[in-house]
Amino acid sequence: MLFPTVQFGLFFPPVLVLSWVLMSRPRLWKPFIVVASYCFYAAADPLFCFLLAGVTLGNQAAALLMGRTDRAGVRKAIMITAVALDLLDLGVFKYYGFFAESVDKLASDFGLGLPIGLATIALPVGISFFTFQAISYTVDVYRREVPAGKTIDVAVYLSFFPHLVAGPIVRAREFLPQLEKPRDPNRVAVGPALMLIGMGLVKKVVIADYLGSHAVDPVFGAPAVYHGPDVLLSAYAYAAQIYCDFSGYTDIAIGLALLMGYVFPQNFDRPYSAKSLRDFWRRWHMTLSRFLRDFLYIPLGGNRGGRVRRYRNVVITMLLGGLWHGAAWTFVLWGGWHGIGLVVEDLFRGRVKIPTWLQRVLTFHVVLIGWILFRAQSLSLTGQWFARLAHWGGSPQNFGVATVVMILVVMIGQNLPERPLERMRQWIENLQPALLGAALALTIMLVGATVSSQGVAPFIYFRF
Amino acid sequence: MPEDHRMDRFERTYQHRWRARHALLAILLCAGLLVVFEGGAIRHQGDTMNHGIGRTLVLAVGKPAGWLADQLPFQAAGRHLTNLVSPNQDLGDNGQGFDAADLTPGAAGSVPPVTPDAFAPASIGAAAPARVPLHTLLVTGDSMSTPLDDDIAELLAPKGVTVIRDPHIGTSISNTFILDWAREAQSQVKQHKPQAVVMFIGANEGFSMPDAAGAQVNCCSAEWASILATRERLMMNTYRQAGAARVYWLTLPAPRDPTRREVARVVNAADVVAAEPWQDDVDIINTVPVFTPGFVYRTAMPINGSETIVRESDGIHLNNAGAAYEAKLVVAQLEQNYTL
Repeated sequence: MLFPTVQFGLFFPPVLVLSWVLMSRPRLWKPFIVVASYCFYAAADPLFCFLLAGVTLGNQAAALLMGRTDRAGVRKAIMITAVALDLLDLGVFKYYGFFAESVDKLASDFGLGLPIGLATIALPVGISFFTFQAISYTVDVYRREVPAGKTIDVAVYLSFFPHLVAGPIVRAREFLPQLEKPRDPNRVAVGPALMLIGMGLVKKVVIADYLGSHAVDPVFGAPAVYHGPDVLLSAYAYAAQIYCDFSGYTDIAIGLALLMGYVFPQNFDRPYSAKSLRDFWRRWHMTLSRFLRDFLYIPLGGNRGGRVRRYRNVVITMLLGGLWHGAAWTFVLWGGWHGIGLVVEDLFRGRVKIPTWLQRVLTFHVVLIGWILFRAQSLSLTGQWFARLAHWGGSPQNFGVATVVMILVVMIGQNLPERPLERMRQWIENLQPALLGAALALTIMLVGATVSSQGVAPFIYFRF
Repeated sequence: MPEDHRMDRFERTYQHRWRARHALLAILLCAGLLVVFEGGAIRHQGDTMNHGIGRTLVLAVGKPAGWLADQLPFQAAGRHLTNLVSPNQDLGDNGQGFDAADLTPGAAGSVPPVTPDAFAPASIGAAAPARVPLHTLLVTGDSMSTPLDDDIAELLAPKGVTVIRDPHIGTSISNTFILDWAREAQSQVKQHKPQAVVMFIGANEGFSMPDAAGAQVNCCSAEWASILATRERLMMNTYRQAGAARVYWLTLPAPRDPTRREVARVVNAADVVAAEPWQDDVDIINTVPVFTPGFVYRTAMPINGSETIVRESDGIHLNNAGAAYEAKLVVAQLEQNYTL
């Protein structure tokens, strides 16, 4: 179920009302919210619910078993088994087709035929997100950072519908404590919640979808049809689109959770104002960065073992981070680009003095090149995209005023001084809730009117 | 890498003492206003959904909401307010939709005349007309037409052909609420004046349609097929521009789901019947023998000697490899009639 749809509009108000009615009785609230979340998930495909339930029960069983023993070896074996099963599950659903096709193609190139069954397996929506959360729970229990929770709490944690399909990736230690006692009905961040939902809708439906359909999809679909200006514009448009699409979703998710009394971690912090790639990853999809740091980079050795090992760990982490986004070589390339970029940046840190504004411009354009790799549908189309940059002969087709204005608003908006924007946001958040509710209704009407006959495009991160 | 210190970022807002009841008030007020201003849209959304529990639930709310909105003056005011930002207004003046077009069959006993356009030259042993250069090609349809449109554009752009890609995802000919294809076809022709049109549609067919008397006819009887074929014929006639353009209409490869497969079979049959009056201008490109011989679903097929997955995991659409292969077939068909 997409957030900006009539279906979700009908789903959420009764769930919110019942959630607060039942909040003081956790024995009723928890099963209710699990059922509501599974209904939300079943809208994509009811069969996927079995997978979600299986991941929940499997990891909870591992957590409970670890809680019953103090033997380090046994605990480690349980943790490894659970994580391996999670990754196997992710591998089968997300990477099997990619693996089978790659091996089959390689074998064909060498004149060999391999008996690998080629099959298309439906990718369950949000599998990467809830699997990562399940892994974080199991590993955190193993590390004794959180105790094994009650099964119903873990079920709520993994299935809670605001973050279920596209994050943010909430850690168990952030969410399970919030389930220990009912949320205080006298402490609800109504203003920020409504503001986030409204802003998220505008970002996703108005900006991201418009840029996608007008300046990005046509060009990346067939770069050979376009000339340099349109090709270049498509990169900037995609940078704006993916930010608005993903951060828009996250804003809505955080806002919905806030209305229910729950707080999620921040996921974006003006990423295009980053002064370095390292800074970018502190601002972009922050919960994934954190996950990769804690569950991949540090276990690989992190900063220990000297510079070469550190760089190796960075590149491996970024390559796998790229692969997490999807089963395609373009994502691996994107991860590799960032990995190498981080290494190069570290090599030059402190040796070159660059003005802050130039740092921002350079960082943004390194990120921009990465987005081209990320968006391209195949390696050959990536090559075509870059090749078309050199063709400046034809007249631009996609340079609409709205497209350019939207790109500028997104890019410049993130580099404006924070304080005036913060003050304006606070002023809006402090308005009376009834006024904010009416403003949200008006926003939804206006946003809804911008939806074309094709409806709201799926969120980019849904397929991850 | 980020630290875990952002969980308290809303603390300052709690000083306002907004409570849960304020959250409920705001959301319920918002929902109420949307019902009053957009009730009709909720009802229409339900009408366009596939049958199932989701549709039932949306209509359970949408029908009374629509009724309420109909009784109040706010809905029209809301539309007036949001018209400026609506991207769909440009279809407003583009001819008649399916509902307005005269789709009634001729009087009982009368026989519509057969025109010369009904005969493909090859079928009567006549020489094929000389090939002409192709300048403008429109590739359109529902989600089936992507990424086929990109692949055709990739193949033809280097040959100087302007390929207009105009997919309308989620649309169907049998459901006019999201998009009325009769109007859309007229709009496309008026705007682009294509020399040739490639149409790939049918993934979402199966909605009930009104017959000449206004009674709803459910999929997939012969009566339903005849209404669909009539609508398709109207579109084909628009696209062929009185013989000035050629139409390449693709049939559906068999979907994996048996229910959808039965719909697809009827849609394909309707395609063939619809094209009958203009076999000189309208080519039916049959994808069935290529992708699903015997109308039996298959995931992979041999391409260049290598077994290749050609379908998406939904069991309906062609994936990138399948679409790229299909694009080559379409271009080969275009080369029969045009110099490329």
